[in-house]
Amino acid sequence: MLAVEIEHLNVYIRHAHILKNVTLRIPKNTVFVIMGPSGSGKTTLLKVINRLIDFTEGVRVEGVVRVLDIDALKADPYELRKRIGMVFQTPNPFPHLTIYENVAIAAKLNGVARSKRELDEIVRWALEKAMLWDEVKHRLHAYPHQLSGGQRQRLCLARALAMKPEILLLDEPTANIDPINARKLEEAIVSLKDEVTVVMVTHSPHQAARVADYIAVLYDGRVVEQGPAQQLFLRPSTEITQKLLRGEM
Amino acid sequence: MYSGRRLKEALFTVTIITLSVAAIAPVLHIVYTVLVNGVSVIVKAGLRFFTDLPPTPGSAEVGGIAPAIAGTILITAIAFPLSVVLGLFSAILTTEFPKNPLSLLVDTIARSLASVPTIAISMVIYTVIVVPMRSFSALASALALTIVALPYTYTYFSAALRSVPAMYREAAFSLGMSRWDTVTRVLIPISRRIIAAGALTTLARIMGETAALLFTAGRFRGGVAISLTAPVDAIPLLIFDYILSPYEIWHEVAWGASALLLLSYLAIFMSVKLMVKEVKL
Amino acid sequence: MRLSKKDKLFLLSLLPLATSVLALLILIIFAILLRSLQAINKFGLELLVSSVWSPEQEIYGVLAPLIGSLATSVIATLTALILSIPLAIAASEYLKGFIKNVFSSLIELAGGMPTIIYAVWASEYLVPFLKTYVMEPLHRLLPFIPLFSCKPITGFSIFAAGVAIGISVVPYVTALILESYNSIPAMYKEACYGIGAYRHEAVSILLSLSRPAIVASLLLGFARALGETTIAVTTVGSSMYLSSCLFAPGYTVAALIATQFANANLYMYAESVLYTAALIVTVIATILSFYGSVIMVRWRSRIVV
Ligand SMILES: Nc1ncnc2c1ncn2[C@@H]1O[C@H](COP(=O)(O)OP(=O)(O)OP(=O)(O)O)[C@@H](O)[C@H]1O
Ligand SMILES: [Mg+2]
Repeated sequence: MLAVEIEHLNVYIRHAHILKNVTLRIPKNTVFVIMGPSGSGKTTLLKVINRLIDFTEGVRVEGVVRVLDIDALKADPYELRKRIGMVFQTPNPFPHLTIYENVAIAAKLNGVARSKRELDEIVRWALEKAMLWDEVKHRLHAYPHQLSGGQRQRLCLARALAMKPEILLLDEPTANIDPINARKLEEAIVSLKDEVTVVMVTHSPHQAARVADYIAVLYDGRVVEQGPAQQLFLRPSTEITQKLLRGEM
Repeated sequence: MYSGRRLKEALFTVTIITLSVAAIAPVLHIVYTVLVNGVSVIVKAGLRFFTDLPPTPGSAEVGGIAPAIAGTILITAIAFPLSVVLGLFSAILTTEFPKNPLSLLVDTIARSLASVPTIAISMVIYTVIVVPMRSFSALASALALTIVALPYTYTYFSAALRSVPAMYREAAFSLGMSRWDTVTRVLIPISRRIIAAGALTTLARIMGETAALLFTAGRFRGGVAISLTAPVDAIPLLIFDYILSPYEIWHEVAWGASALLLLSYLAIFMSVKLMVKEVKL
Repeated sequence: MRLSKKDKLFLLSLLPLATSVLALLILIIFAILLRSLQAINKFGLELLVSSVWSPEQEIYGVLAPLIGSLATSVIATLTALILSIPLAIAASEYLKGFIKNVFSSLIELAGGMPTIIYAVWASEYLVPFLKTYVMEPLHRLLPFIPLFSCKPITGFSIFAAGVAIGISVVPYVTALILESYNSIPAMYKEACYGIGAYRHEAVSILLSLSRPAIVASLLLGFARALGETTIAVTTVGSSMYLSSCLFAPGYTVAALIATQFANANLYMYAESVLYTAALIVTVIATILSFYGSVIMVRWRSRIVV
């Protein structure tokens, strides 16, 4: 069962060839980690999956991208995005909404909750899943600027979860937060596997080792290697993978 | 050599400071003289300044400017929401679909409207509305003011929408929000202060605009008219006519009306200041 | 990427609005053009080479008001040039803390103030002040210069109108200059001080760096001054007599329209002549401010990376 199936994907931004003939298979209910040096196209790849790439100026996308058994490049992007949550590199909770509202808006917009009670439950469930509930349960109506960076990032995770997505895209979610918050987030991610397919970009080999079921390595827009995590850690077949997993790149 | 440079530095500083004080002095003097001359008139006339009709040239009593106040409120009540709605939707169009030829067109038009002298707009409305309707009217005035205000609301609002960092827009779309939801639930709420400040600044502009009313309002000062199709008066228009008149008593009324206009403007300006740090012109 | 179906719907729902804005423009152009045709056909260029306003005989010439509009706008722009640049520099480089806030707030306050208030103040205070302290001394000292050759009688004159309008555009031009000055990347400023420049030297380097933006701001200020009506009416003196002296009363196009339009419908061509005059001023103002914005945008895309 595949959640995402990418074949011969090429992405151009103006005249730059950003993703080159990428072919990837992401099995359902796994944590799939994408690694690669800065500028190798990891964020671009994630944005193709939920079609946020549409908003990039001068972009051209070619190839086949099947997401949850629909043709993602031809589908209505709004319907597609309802089934895919995303957490970004920089925490971006909506500054004009309270903690509660930030989570609730995702559930409401996607018709996940029908009553106020259901909504309350979903907000609580999402915050618990994101390991944030205990820290904010007494100030649900405060604004996110009162939270620490790590808490904000977990709030974004909760917001994404409240959509009840089938796929969760995480773009270096721990890049801007401290190690303790990062560990909490990792824990949350692993515990999600039963419900969603997680596609995560990270720079940290340790983090990859802790959470990954599968790893794909991107280098200069190409997939140089992909496979089960243990296999890559034990027998990396390219020098690039070796360097990346040793943290030398 | 060194002392020469230092001397130049000192001279330069003195020049800059002197000239900038000279540039600022008129504002202070304007506020001071208008308040000193005008507030005394309002105090002398008392509450009747707001409820009475203007004096005849020979009259000894100041009377009031009720028709002008009512007219300004009526015209503003139509022109302000119209220009806000038009400006907001134009801004949404051009920020959400920047590459669309329609957007380029709307953007160019809305911006170049700002350079059309407002007296020319008054003449256009005269031809298009006043002549066919055979009467000056509040409606004609309000339409003229809407055209005058549109470039302002449009510029403020598109700047406000563009000021929202891209990451919030991405977050909104990643949650499956439609474009409409993204605009109404995320972009506008996040920039609401800037939008409100822009709207208020435009309100001040509408209230104080004179030239656009010259050939549209009709200067009816014989009573308080609350009709869209009848001639009306407006505060700036009354000031304009009375300050140009040769009668002492009308000059007094003009000062009083100027003070009232200035005070309303100051009130709006203060509230904008409370909302945003920097007021964009 | 092409638009999705939902985006297309959204765009479509904004269409009526787009067409109404377009309609506005067409309306303005056509109304002014159509109403001008009559006078253009009848008088042609004659309108532009004489200075008469004699509707009873149906003789018209708007040379004096046109020159008056240009002259007052030039004076206004010079006023803005002299006052706005120092003010902008002071506000961004020399003033600190509370005083800086006061200055910035006053610039903003002045920028949004209704022009009718400037008009009242100018006619009651500024004109007598200029007459006594500027025009009369200049006339006494330099009577051989044609511009200053006449004795100011009332003070209401092209010169007074130019300065008054100038004072009202100073905040606008200052804000434009400030905005561009502040958008110069910090690295250039650091570079200036890095090579041991004194503050005035750094400022002049930065000013020459932003010269196109300053020119653009002044063009935009000029366009705004051209259309200014109320201040012109209350200060210009309203005379159709074309004089080479700045201290003599004159007219501007906007002032001519403001004072003559109300009765113009009593005559055959008077209205149409005024529409023609408005057309000329509108075209000039639009071209200038378009050109100004183009310079500004081009400068910004080069400087701000
Ligand atoms: N909007 C854009 N316009 C032009 N080029 C872009 C744009 N976005 C990304 N690129 C280019 O595409 C390439 C891949 O970018 P991407 O953001 O996907 O990299 P990344 O692997 O996520 O890097 P990082 O680890 O630094 O986040 C880069 O070379 C970048 O310069
Ligand atoms: Mg990235």
